[in-house]
Amino acid sequence: MFLQQLINGIVIGSVYALTAMGATLVYGIMRILDINNAGAYALGAYVGLLTYNATGSLLLTFIVGMLLTGLYGVLVQKLLYVPMLDKSPNVSLIASIGLFIFLSDLIRMVAGPSIKGFHAEVPFSSIYTESLNINGAWILIIVTTFLLLAVLWFLLNKTKIGLAWKATAQDLETAKAMGVNVNMMVALNYLLGYGFAAAAGIMVGILYSSVFPTMGDVPAYKMLAIIVLGGLGSPVGTVIAAMVIGLAETLIGGYIGFFLPRDAIAFVVLIIILLFRPQGLISKN
Amino acid sequence: MKKIIFVGLLILVFAFAVFGCGAKQEPADNGGEQQSQTGEQQQSKEPVKIGFFAPLTGPAAADGESVQNAAELAVEQINDAGGINGQLVELVDYDDGLDSKQAVNIAQKLTTKDNVVATVSGSYSGPTRAVAPIFQRAKIPMISAYALHPEITKAGDFIFRQSFVGTVQGKAGAYVAVEMLGAKKIAILHIDNDFGSTLAQSFEAYAEAKGAEVVSIDSFSFGEKEFTPVLTKIKEEGADLVYMPAYAGEGAQIVRQAKDLGLEAQLLGTEGVDSTTQFLEVAADTADGLVITTNLNRDSDREVVQKFLTDYSDFSGHAPDMVAASTYDAFMVLASVMKEYGTEPAQILEGLSKVKNFEAVTGVLHGYNELGEVTKAVQVQEVKNGKFHSYGQIDDPEIITPPNK
Repeated sequence: MFLQQLINGIVIGSVYALTAMGATLVYGIMRILDINNAGAYALGAYVGLLTYNATGSLLLTFIVGMLLTGLYGVLVQKLLYVPMLDKSPNVSLIASIGLFIFLSDLIRMVAGPSIKGFHAEVPFSSIYTESLNINGAWILIIVTTFLLLAVLWFLLNKTKIGLAWKATAQDLETAKAMGVNVNMMVALNYLLGYGFAAAAGIMVGILYSSVFPTMGDVPAYKMLAIIVLGGLGSPVGTVIAAMVIGLAETLIGGYIGFFLPRDAIAFVVLIIILLFRPQGLISKN
Repeated sequence: MKKIIFVGLLILVFAFAVFGCGAKQEPADNGGEQQSQTGEQQQSKEPVKIGFFAPLTGPAAADGESVQNAAELAVEQINDAGGINGQLVELVDYDDGLDSKQAVNIAQKLTTKDNVVATVSGSYSGPTRAVAPIFQRAKIPMISAYALHPEITKAGDFIFRQSFVGTVQGKAGAYVAVEMLGAKKIAILHIDNDFGSTLAQSFEAYAEAKGAEVVSIDSFSFGEKEFTPVLTKIKEEGADLVYMPAYAGEGAQIVRQAKDLGLEAQLLGTEGVDSTTQFLEVAADTADGLVITTNLNRDSDREVVQKFLTDYSDFSGHAPDMVAASTYDAFMVLASVMKEYGTEPAQILEGLSKVKNFEAVTGVLHGYNELGEVTKAVQVQEVKNGKFHSYGQIDDPEIITPPNK
């Protein structure tokens, strides 16, 4: 049972990692908490479902879903967040909450309020043994998350773009003075951030065979717990925090029982860890 | 910069276009007001107004849409058949967003401004509980279509319930588990709200009285999607039946993940998962073998049931679920009572207390007791080849007779 719960935890943690990565990247550069990332998550899932139903290709589902949602992110930052950059961060936080509510209601009006089935053919077969069951969709999620995070790591650490990203994250004005195309970096940041959120949405859609307009509601606040725990803006910290929360939820739930709702467990873990490490798990300071 | 402004304008235009289309599908918010204004203009032939509220937005929007369609269909059919002795029926409907505060505002409006003679609640237990005392004070009868919390009808004699109270369904569930499915070790996994805890409590009490052992009780919050941790635990416990009061979204995940984990226990659900579009479409073949307690028997050969199934599908484009059938019935009971006893609230109250053997879609209503609780058979349904089919019916008076205090 321990192994089973461990795998359950890693699958949940993987989904959290991708969901929160978008918000981490955005916070890293813009220093704004972008709740609308959860909107991108739901939007991505719907675009993915449409693509899958039209083409039947899982690869295309991810590419189209991530790309279109990423472009939506670029549009949103150009029209909404960049004009607000010189205002207090609260302004853009509230704008992002408004945009998130608008987007999920827009999805409800266009696609209808009911749950839509997302039955995707997964290229991995399920593994069943006496004590362990591994669903094909779980393998897909772990592999895809690993691949996407590896690409992100490479991009941030081994390329010039990554260097420019880090420079912009450290000090936007100085990076601009040093000749970094800051506008480009911010746009790319949203393309990646919203693209990752879309990938997470698609994976959750496949995992639970369903998409629905309010699917972003829980990620909207759980994502916050994870990026705060990860040290606000640190991609590595976010991955670790996501795994910690995913494992805590499964192991506490499985062994001690659900004395609290599963979502509350995430926040209890957040409070306990922040008591000892107020700067988060990984922090630049 | 000009380009950006242009793109911005384009999005605005698009957004308005979408909003425009959306508004046509949902006359919920403004519809009520407009209708009441036209009503005031033609006072000579003022229609009979029936209030209605449902969660058209928010997390229960799918159920809201379902019951809204049922209410509109019912009113259309009542009027097509000549209304209430020639007087037309008008629906005064609102969206409560599954928010009790919003529901209270709606109830104030319905009772003070809209001059409705009766109201149907198409919402969940939370909002319905919150508004019941308001209708009681205003002395306007309210029928709760499918909300099952016991407290609702205790608000007073003007409050009725169209579907059976949670305690009856929980008891019926325990009867199915122990007597029909032969369960000995039972795990309960319920949604943590009025709906889930009411069912879980009455199920537990009756199952233990019948000699079964309840090995564990776990709960989860509304909207939960991940059940592998708790199902892994239940598998270890070796339960032979899992009782799962949940809604379609969570219920579909429970049956899917139970199959993924190779859980062999029999699953027993409730009316919460009685939805073709929302539950069966997602759960697909993993739902086969699931047994539920509900009030809608799709296999029934009674004419009223088959006619409703066809009419509703034609009207809304998808198959009806239990909440739609219950809402439709609430309107039909009201119409029949008003035809016979009159359209004043006091007359409706008198009529409702005298209902006897009414042929409704959700079964033959034997009548309402002094608390306003209905007595009717509990349907047991089984999922076979992706469809709900009849598995049995419970009409033992010891189980289906609702409490009268």
